[in-house]
Formats: sequence, structure tokens, C-alpha cells
Amino acid sequence: MEMTQTTKVREGEIWAVGGGKGGTGKTFITSSVGTYLAKKGKNVVLVDMDIGGANLHSFFGISRPQKSLTSFFEMGASLSDLVVKTELDNISLISGDVHSIASDKITFSQKLKLFRQIMKLNAQNVIIDLGAGSHYNTLDTFLIADRMIVVLVPEVIAIENMYHFIKNSLFRKVKKTLKEYGFKEIVQHIWDRRQSYGINNIKELIDYLKDSFSYIGTILDHELAAFKVHLVLNMVRNNNDILLGASIKSVMMKYLGVPIQYSGYIEYNDAVWKSVRERKPFMLNYLATGCAKEIEVLVDNIVKGREVSLPGGY
Amino acid sequence: MPKDELKKYYDMLELPPDAPLRDIHNSFMRLKKIYSGDSIVLAPLGEEFSEKKRKRVLEQIEEAHLKLLEAKKDAPSRTALLFSDGREPEDGPEMDKIGDGPYTGPSLRKIREKAGVELNEISKELKLRMELLKSLEDEKYEALPEAIYLKVHLKNYASFLGLDPVRVTEEYLRRYQAWKEKTVPAEK
Repeated sequence: MEMTQTTKVREGEIWAVGGGKGGTGKTFITSSVGTYLAKKGKNVVLVDMDIGGANLHSFFGISRPQKSLTSFFEMGASLSDLVVKTELDNISLISGDVHSIASDKITFSQKLKLFRQIMKLNAQNVIIDLGAGSHYNTLDTFLIADRMIVVLVPEVIAIENMYHFIKNSLFRKVKKTLKEYGFKEIVQHIWDRRQSYGINNIKELIDYLKDSFSYIGTILDHELAAFKVHLVLNMVRNNNDILLGASIKSVMMKYLGVPIQYSGYIEYNDAVWKSVRERKPFMLNYLATGCAKEIEVLVDNIVKGREVSLPGGY
Repeated sequence: MPKDELKKYYDMLELPPDAPLRDIHNSFMRLKKIYSGDSIVLAPLGEEFSEKKRKRVLEQIEEAHLKLLEAKKDAPSRTALLFSDGREPEDGPEMDKIGDGPYTGPSLRKIREKAGVELNEISKELKLRMELLKSLEDEKYEALPEAIYLKVHLKNYASFLGLDPVRVTEEYLRRYQAWKEKTVPAEK
């Protein structure tokens, strides 16, 4: 059975934090969002899936995690045994693989097992830090989430990487969906010959599939309706930066047909930047930072499906 | 304009249906800037999406803006049509009364209700407090601002409903002045 069809046994929600470019603050957003949810009384488990760059634990003052995903991949340990308590109430974490595993080495069956076990974790909120890049394993993890969150900083490379990340996620989603319905190779087949089909991008691919096979259209409409992405703009410095989120939302809809929820922004904050760089146990006194309020607004917006109110009368 | 079509234009400007004029304008300006040239949110998609696509989007935005402005203009002029000299016959005697007499608070309210315009729509569009508009229609003169301000509000209110602003202002203020002279003679 495909993982997207796996029925969930919990009532909890899985959130995944990705976005393509490194250094945009995914780990920071993951840990502060988790900390705020925990403060509100939710039982939270954070999962560090930043293969090769795992450092979520250091945000909670854990320098060398005793257990990590390495045990899952190399020794077949069960995920629930790898959950480690933090010093904060209601919040535990599964540390990332700090040693060996490369994303490519993860087998298909390991991946499915991992997803099944993530879904079974005993928590009201599981938040996954995806790390950088658009590796297909990263995209697949993104796609199992109930809330797909991308983190961006206001600069052109980050925007470019984020588009790439979302386009590829969408492509994976379309492929998987049609595979589940028995059209295994059709998407890749058409995409590989896209020039002869006159297809330039993912939007035109989807439109082509819908137009050519009406039954596929219905399936895709249904499945893609759930493809909603929450956007967080990190390290903003002025109103123009804040408006960038709205512009991206516009382009995503008009060009790619992907609905974006512009859920929040975090102002650039020297103190935060410094403690992240120095790997200080930042979350332990997270309330002291200037951006706690913005995190609260962000989380509440995500939960309630609300969006940023734009500055300057827009 | 049919509702579906109207919604399409609001969608194009990324607005909820019935967004006020001010939002239509702001949204248009914002989107025009994005799709006019080399914005950093468009540049990364330049390879996959042609220049034609960008121009098409820009055209659609401009079209939506124009259509919505027209629709907004139409809404009040519908009422203007109703209450101009070529009144609709089925509105018989009652309409005559509104049309013939001078504009008063209550007659303005009647016209507004007949046109299906809610007070809060006017309040939102003109940025006026609801209480002020209510007092205006109730002729609660003591709650209204000084004549010079009142004149501006009346003018806007009348224009919103597609009425003749000069006539409305003159006739309303005549009654207001009469009341004022009666109640505050001591100031002379």
C-alpha cells in the first residue's frame, strides 16, 4: 500500500517544515513552533529529519543525543523507543542522524516503515524538521504531513529554491496519486517527452493530464485540493519584506495553481541569529526572545487557517 | 454583471467578493507591480513560464480592475435610475412621495433601503461611523457634526446612492439650519 493512503490511527497532527534552501531557519521555526504548542498544553514530539545536518537537539541544550535515527536505519530500532524528553514540559524529540546515513541509502521499505511509525507516535503534534534540499525522500516526508510548512528568507536564491521544492513536491504528489489509481508511468512518460507535448511546466502538465483523461481530472482535482502550503517568511527587516509573502502567494496561484497560506513572518533578530549560530540551548529561555509573539501569531494562524494581515493598507 | 463573472474578477485581484473600492484599488496596484517586470518573485520562474504568460496575467489583472470599477459604479447608478425623473411605474405613489418632496433623513433612509444598500456598507466605504449615519437618517441633529463637515458627509452619502449631491445637501442642510437657529439663539 502507498504511504499516502495509510490510514492514521491517531488524532494528532503531523506538521512538516521544509522549503529547499539551507539556513532559512527551519530548525528554529520547528523548535519554536513546537515549544509554543507545548506551552499551550499540546503533547509535542519533534522529529529531526535533517539528514546529514541534524542539530535540533542543540536548540534544547542536548549536545550529544544518546539516541538518534541512526538506530532506526541501522539497527531497526522502533521509532517510539528513540523519543527523548527535553527539559521542557510536553515536548520530546527524536534526534536526527548525526553520523553516517545519507539520504540515498534509505531504502523504500525503510521509508515506508518510518512513515508508518511517525504516524503512530504518541503525540498531539508531531513536527518534522525536513532540513534543506529537495531530495525525493524529503519531498515524500513533506507530503505525509497534515500541515505542509515552508520557511523562506527574503532573498532571491531562497525564493528560487522554494519554488523548486514546491514544484517537485507537487510533481511527486501527482505521480503518487496517479500511481495509486493504476496509472503508474504515465506522468513520468509525458514529462520526459514534454517538449513534444508542448508542456513547459508542472501547471501545464497537470492541465494536460486533466484535459486528456477526464477521469484523471476528477481524481487530481480531489487530491490536489488538499495540497495547501503554509508560508513563513523568516528574518524580515521591513514592510517590503513582509509584502514579499503576499507576492509569492499570488505567483504560486496564478502560475502554478498552488494555494499558499501566508501564515506568518518573523522579524530579523540579532539575538536569535547569534544564539542559533552559537548553538545555544535557545528554546530553554525562548520566551525571553523578541520573536515569541510572532511565533504565537504564526501558530495560531496555521491552526485557524488565517493569514498575515498586510501592512500599508493592502 | 452575473455573480460568477464578478467573482472571477475579485479572484483575479485576490479579494473576497464585495471588497470595497479602496481594496480593489490597492490590490490592483500591488499586483500590477508584481507582474509588470523583473520582480524577484517572478524571475526564478522565467525559464518555465514565458513572457507571454506574464503579459496575459497583467492583462487579466487590468481587465478585472476595470470591470470591478464599472460594477461598483453601476451599483449606485441603479438607484439613481430608480429615483430619477424616469421612475419605474410599478413603484407608484410611494415613490412619488420620495421623489417629489425635499430630501430628509427619513426619505434618504427609504431610498437607501429600497436600493438594498446596508448602512454598514456605506460606513465601510465612506469610513464613517455607523452612529453618525444613523443620526443623519434619524435627523438627530444634536448628534451631527458642524455644518461644514456635515456637508461633506452628505455629499458622499448622496453620491454613494447615486443621488444628486447638490440637491441632497441643500435640502437637508436647510432643515438642519432651521433647527439650529431655533435651538441655539443664545450664541448670537
